[in-house]
Amino acid sequence: MHLQVKQNASLKEKIFHAALKGGPDLYILPRQGYNKKYAIFSTRFGSIDNAFRFVDNEQEEEVVLPDGVAHFLEHKLFDEEDGNVFDRFAYYGASPNAFTSFTHTTYLFSCTDFFPENFKLLLDFVQAPYFTEESVAKEQGIIQQEIRMYQDNPNWRVFFGILEALYTRHPVRNDIAGTAESISKITKELLYKCYYTFYHPRNMAIFVTGDLEPEAVCGLVEENIAGRSFPPFHATQRLYPREGAAVHQKKVTRELSVSQPLLNLGFKDTYADLQGRELFVRELTTELLLEMIFGKGGPFFTSLYEEGLIDEHFDFGFTGECSYGYTLLGGRTKHPEKLHARLLAAIKKIKKEGLGTDSFARYKRKMRGQLLRSFNSLEFIANNYLAYRFRQIDFFEILDLLEEIKIEDLEKRLYEHLREDLHAVSIVYPVRQD
Amino acid sequence: MISLESKTLPVNVNIHLLPTSKFKTTLVSVFLQQALAKELAAKTALLPAVLKRGTRQYPTFRDLKVRLEELYGAALSADVVKKGERQLVSFSLEIINDKFTPGEKLLQQGLSILKDVITDPLLENGGFRQDYVQQEKEQLTKEIRGLVNDKVSYALERCIQEMCSQERFGVYKYGSVEELQPVSTGELYTYYQNILQENPLDVFVVGEIDPENTFALIQDTFSFSRAGNLVELPPVEVENIPAEVSYQEEKLPINQGKLTLGYRTNISYQDEAYPALLFYNAVLGGFPHSKLFQNVREKASLAYYVFSRLEKHKGIQLIGSGIEVSDYEQALEIILQQVEEIKKGQISKEEMKNTKRALLNGLKIVGDSPYSLVGFYMDGLIGKRTEETEHLMQRIAEVKEEDIVAVAHRVYLDTIYFLRSTNGDERKQE
Repeated sequence: MHLQVKQNASLKEKIFHAALKGGPDLYILPRQGYNKKYAIFSTRFGSIDNAFRFVDNEQEEEVVLPDGVAHFLEHKLFDEEDGNVFDRFAYYGASPNAFTSFTHTTYLFSCTDFFPENFKLLLDFVQAPYFTEESVAKEQGIIQQEIRMYQDNPNWRVFFGILEALYTRHPVRNDIAGTAESISKITKELLYKCYYTFYHPRNMAIFVTGDLEPEAVCGLVEENIAGRSFPPFHATQRLYPREGAAVHQKKVTRELSVSQPLLNLGFKDTYADLQGRELFVRELTTELLLEMIFGKGGPFFTSLYEEGLIDEHFDFGFTGECSYGYTLLGGRTKHPEKLHARLLAAIKKIKKEGLGTDSFARYKRKMRGQLLRSFNSLEFIANNYLAYRFRQIDFFEILDLLEEIKIEDLEKRLYEHLREDLHAVSIVYPVRQD
Repeated sequence: MISLESKTLPVNVNIHLLPTSKFKTTLVSVFLQQALAKELAAKTALLPAVLKRGTRQYPTFRDLKVRLEELYGAALSADVVKKGERQLVSFSLEIINDKFTPGEKLLQQGLSILKDVITDPLLENGGFRQDYVQQEKEQLTKEIRGLVNDKVSYALERCIQEMCSQERFGVYKYGSVEELQPVSTGELYTYYQNILQENPLDVFVVGEIDPENTFALIQDTFSFSRAGNLVELPPVEVENIPAEVSYQEEKLPINQGKLTLGYRTNISYQDEAYPALLFYNAVLGGFPHSKLFQNVREKASLAYYVFSRLEKHKGIQLIGSGIEVSDYEQALEIILQQVEEIKKGQISKEEMKNTKRALLNGLKIVGDSPYSLVGFYMDGLIGKRTEETEHLMQRIAEVKEEDIVAVAHRVYLDTIYFLRSTNGDERKQE
């Protein structure tokens, strides 16, 4: 057992890490006084990984998947030969779940009692696929209803509208669950193929938090993997189509049953293949920049609000993954065209007048406080830790990195990223009443 | 669990402290209670919206936000909450614990802002600022109309509105646009002064606090004058046995149909049978192992989501699901079948055991979030049953199968509400 411990003074947290021989990376964050225990088991396989090739076998043809396979697999991994692992978690009073993002799939449970039993269930079911033709067929109906539920969700639709506008080929523009048509092509064989490609311990990581002894948790994982033999790991090269710097479409619009329009404005980032600290700094710099321009204490929010162009739910943020990145801002509005123009004008004005330095320290304080607040949530910590870990980022460095960022970094980012020629909009209008 | 230390101030404000060192923040929540009523709801909902726009010291939204940002992005919120037939004006401040910023006295500074928002609003001509009220009326109108945007919650809310159209519970938490429009600026401030003086006011503080200091700090914050005798708010009406099931249908241009069933349980939060009701609801549709999920989703593949939930104060149970419009008959039949099964006592030992563990699990984690702690105790105050989670857990542990069956026989289907697409049964694919 080789548990390494890292203290973080800014967060007042202590995290344990074990690199288990042949097993997944394991992270444990003890939290005294919490009744809840929360564990996640994640793999670097998300909706965008829909074309790949094995690195050590160049002869083999590249594999191209129908959209929605990672998500479909997530649903089906809960199946067991004699039923569904949900029932066994229920026996121990746990609440299991899973989610699929663009870049990874995560299985999880939370419980208060029977932690060792529940944890073992999690480790076991994620490492034991059982797919049949019947069960694959049965899941089609359920996932179709999931897709249709999202089709009626205006926030989801305006979000995918902007991704479709920004990207020409990158699979981030496709719905995570796929379409009714694409999922009809999913077979049991395809699921097994993806499972054995991406669910290798070398491609996975575990995060556990709660009032727990790190050694004991580590012991449970060691015991669990001791009896398993893993095939050699075949690294995959994920094949993302070449995506140009330019946006695909200036504007994407849809009509939905909504009370007022929704606007998303997006800026496409101009790099690729960034990871680690560099990517993290870029993210934090961009978040600070956006906060300084569009935050509630910033120069524009109050007037846009008073004019009724935005409401309190107006939101903004930056997403930076290894193969894509974008800034999004927007929300519900009575005049999407007007708001679009005003947001661009705000950026222009800031470029002309400069960011100013007065408020910079204040925004850093704000980000610091917000982060500490989020650290009350075990789910927040665990989910973020692994999501960043998969980008070679140590999430716990966040407060220390934040201090290193200078106003000049923001100025630079303002000019290189918030460029009018690299922006697009997505609008959802109310359905016209004929 | 973290125990409540309560005290009533001379000015008739109840203070409840929940000292714990497990969180990184301190949460202060303030609830001003009002009766939920058609003619009051929109006016009451407008109050927190206007109050958070500015104070005498921080007159603009931006001034206020800048001040909060200086305090490490303290989260200040003001909104209304509906609990049974009460509408609560709620204010809350969540601020990071002083241990992260030695010497700054953050809680004290934060409380002074919260105090200003509640008791020292920006006034002109003896009332709220005209333009703020006007703007917030517009925003609230959008909020009320915006209910339709989220179809999952829209369907549940519409079912309640249809089912309780003759009761106070049928009023939406933000009221209606019709009642909001005529509210005048002058009237709004007088109304606020009245309820701030006469209506029940509770304050919760959760975090790493010293009880004695905190009592003093809160006492100092709520030092304004209050009436000696508070208004008595009417109790919630629970008993109701519908003569027949009402069927309501609504059409919107959507993809997925939403089938919602509203039941009267005739059991309130105070009722001795409440733990059995919790159990009944959980066996039916509270968890993935429950009957609804297992049969509607896992066996018949008709839905992605299907659940049942309780409004504990009013004693209403709602079943919600998203289905293909053409599957309506089949889905309804399976749902009704599950309810019948429980009535007939078709509950396995495994279902009993699993459900009990899941319910206890849910109660044990109440203390892991400052917001859920406050919510739990506030429910106790509203429902006049303040007990610790351990006590409720004890009562749940004692529930037997026959108690659940007995509850099932007290539950009546009142309304079936079906939200469907305008295009009839045809599938619209994009």
